[in-house]
Amino acid sequence: MADALTIQPDLEFIREVTENSGGDLKKCMQCATCSAVCSLSTESRPFPRQQVLKAQWGMSEQLTGDPAIWLCHDCGDCTARCPRGARPSAVMDALRMAAIRRLAFPRFMGSMIGRRENGAIMFLFSALLLLSVAKLPAFHTAARPLIFADMFPVSRLEMFFYIVSAFVVLVLAISAARFIKELRSAGARGAILPSLLPALIEIFLHRRFAGCEAGKVRRWGHLGVLFGFIGLATASTVLGVEMHLGWMVTPMPLLYPLKMIANLCAVVFAVGVSILIWNRLADREKRVGSSFCDWYFLSLLGGIGLTGILSETLRLAQSPDWMYSIYYIHLSLVLTLFLSTPYSKFVHFLYRTIAMAATWQESKSTGRVQLAAGGPDAALPEGPGLPHAIGMRS
Amino acid sequence: MANLNAGNGKSGAILVVGGGIAGVTCAIEAAEAGFEAVLVEKAAYLGGHVAAFHRYFPKLCPPPCGLEINFRRIRNNPRVTVYTLAEIESLKGSPGNYEAVIRIAPRFVTSACTLCGECERVCPVEIPDAFNSGMTKTKAIRLPHRMAFPAQYVVERSACPEGCRLCADACRYNAIGLAQQETWKTLRVASVVLATGWEPYDAAKIDNLGFGQFSNVVTNVMLERLAAPDGPTRGKILRPSDGKPPRAVAFVQCAGSRDRNHLPYCSGVCCTASLKQAAYIRSQYPEAKITMFYIDLRTPGQLEEFAAKTIAANGVELIKGKVGKVQEQPGSRDLLVSAEDVLKGRKIAREYDLVVLAVGIVPQTGGLPAGVNLDEFGFAADGNPGVYAAGCVKRPAEVAVSIRDATGAALKAIECVAGRAHHG
Repeated sequence: MADALTIQPDLEFIREVTENSGGDLKKCMQCATCSAVCSLSTESRPFPRQQVLKAQWGMSEQLTGDPAIWLCHDCGDCTARCPRGARPSAVMDALRMAAIRRLAFPRFMGSMIGRRENGAIMFLFSALLLLSVAKLPAFHTAARPLIFADMFPVSRLEMFFYIVSAFVVLVLAISAARFIKELRSAGARGAILPSLLPALIEIFLHRRFAGCEAGKVRRWGHLGVLFGFIGLATASTVLGVEMHLGWMVTPMPLLYPLKMIANLCAVVFAVGVSILIWNRLADREKRVGSSFCDWYFLSLLGGIGLTGILSETLRLAQSPDWMYSIYYIHLSLVLTLFLSTPYSKFVHFLYRTIAMAATWQESKSTGRVQLAAGGPDAALPEGPGLPHAIGMRS
Repeated sequence: MANLNAGNGKSGAILVVGGGIAGVTCAIEAAEAGFEAVLVEKAAYLGGHVAAFHRYFPKLCPPPCGLEINFRRIRNNPRVTVYTLAEIESLKGSPGNYEAVIRIAPRFVTSACTLCGECERVCPVEIPDAFNSGMTKTKAIRLPHRMAFPAQYVVERSACPEGCRLCADACRYNAIGLAQQETWKTLRVASVVLATGWEPYDAAKIDNLGFGQFSNVVTNVMLERLAAPDGPTRGKILRPSDGKPPRAVAFVQCAGSRDRNHLPYCSGVCCTASLKQAAYIRSQYPEAKITMFYIDLRTPGQLEEFAAKTIAANGVELIKGKVGKVQEQPGSRDLLVSAEDVLKGRKIAREYDLVVLAVGIVPQTGGLPAGVNLDEFGFAADGNPGVYAAGCVKRPAEVAVSIRDATGAALKAIECVAGRAHHG
């Protein structure tokens, strides 16, 4: 730290992080208990103490590109051990929200994250947008058996979701490019593409969840949601393409293999979401709490799972009074999830994957934490151009 | 010795609750100033925690020295009355005119005891020796420690097998009375000094630091005994698991202190105490690695000088960063200590073969009379006229500060007595 460092505190950033972490950044006394108890922070990239310090000083640029905020899996071990009640895990959560906001494209949409009213607006917008492809009030006169295509003709609906998906993918690509640029300027220089595969394997195995002291139940919940979601997304994409090509007509028979896989995935997904909700209510709320951002995303997933299973059940029961309205809500929730992907907690799948890939080499070369017998450790290179401790030398 | 029984209307006595270094100091200072003092101690001996220390800072002289001088002053002063195994049961009255009831537990050994030790040899029961923090065993009938004052055996009656009389039968001086009952005494006193002292924070509650789970994690209080010549290892500092000399020792500061999950306050003395203990280790092991993990090194006032000299003279490595985890290596029973080196911005995990937790100070308020105000951290607060707190029950303090504080409290108590003389 021989070089002088000029810090221009981003006061708005400090205010935002303070508000979203539901705490007081000033409570942190930089004792570093948090980094020490964290099972995911590494020798060369310890967190969250340094991130809390930078947040205290309003160093928003360094934090937006800091991979550490995504390497954190939000288990809350640090908050449970924090001697000052400074809630480091909640600060990391607020930093992720701030990063999502700053990386969002178009920029004004970033302001949606964490705002209660915007969640509702996005849902209403989605519901209205869906009406543009709905056949109204066709289902009142539909012939039996009642099918969802009575309300949303397949060709229109599929085309609609192709367009929405293309838009979302474009937005995510721009956000990812921005994130990589920020990562590079913040000093995370690891090659991303060659490390993508091992990082994805690590994600699919959920190894890092297993490391957290409090994460045993949460790991299974998250695995269920991840694989249920991937299964459902793949099944519906395959189905959509097949229907478009005229190879397939919905509804599929219950014993049709693709239908069976999809139903299995729906159950896995719903169980996963239930575990996550139960875990938050039963255990996590007591220990470290949750943010609105957490609940918005989780209730969206829960709502999609519930209305999806209900829709199918009601269709099988041939209930004209309920099946269409529930299905309409289901589709509206799915569209809300799609449209808010880059501006909600959902986008963590993208940023965390990139952050893990960008730090893969360093985490493997230095190991989790290298062992050294007591005594002065070998000269370690200074971290990437940032103060580890400001005015803290005693 | 002075007679202070109820009904002595002229009594301007000072009651001192607690016979540790603060209480002993307060009683003898008041007595030497010409006032009657009654010293009431819960344990079987005077001296409290200081009696169990190896050395105290900053001069690193052995506490038995200082205590011995005080005990001689007490023995030679007719104005001090000492009750051991005694606690305050009630305190009533107003400044200048208190009535205190004390309950005195039986010692089961009379002053005819010559410390011959025959009883101890025949006693069939072993109990953990509290004086050595439970690291050794002692017989149910025992001298509390080698330098105990009063120098008299005592029986832990609850540990005796039913009907056992082996000690009483073995005693040639007829000094053992197993039928002794507890007694009560009512005292008229003019003022009261509360010096009930402190106890170490229960380190087992800090479950991430491994105390109680791993035998080579010890507390700073235990290390005092490991270093003391009359301790469990005869003064040789050895690892508890295998009795081997330690090669790398870590001091973990703020073990419980400055932590809202444990003790929200700074215990004030632990940084200096760990440096003092680093000097113990260095004096025995010139080659050992000694690391101190700290949040802030708090050695206020003149102790700053002591700290600087001790660090330099003993090659103490300082790492800024609180320890988050202590894990045991299976097999070697060595300990893996995890922390973030804050000044380097790196996370580290180091192996040590002995870890010393610098546990904090908890005020001992259980023996205080009802109605004493406590502050937000549980320490005895001032604001009770006629009743004054002194030493660690009032705030965390080192020995020298406790002694000065006790002397000040003696003066306050004397003022109260004198006030009664003037107005009454």
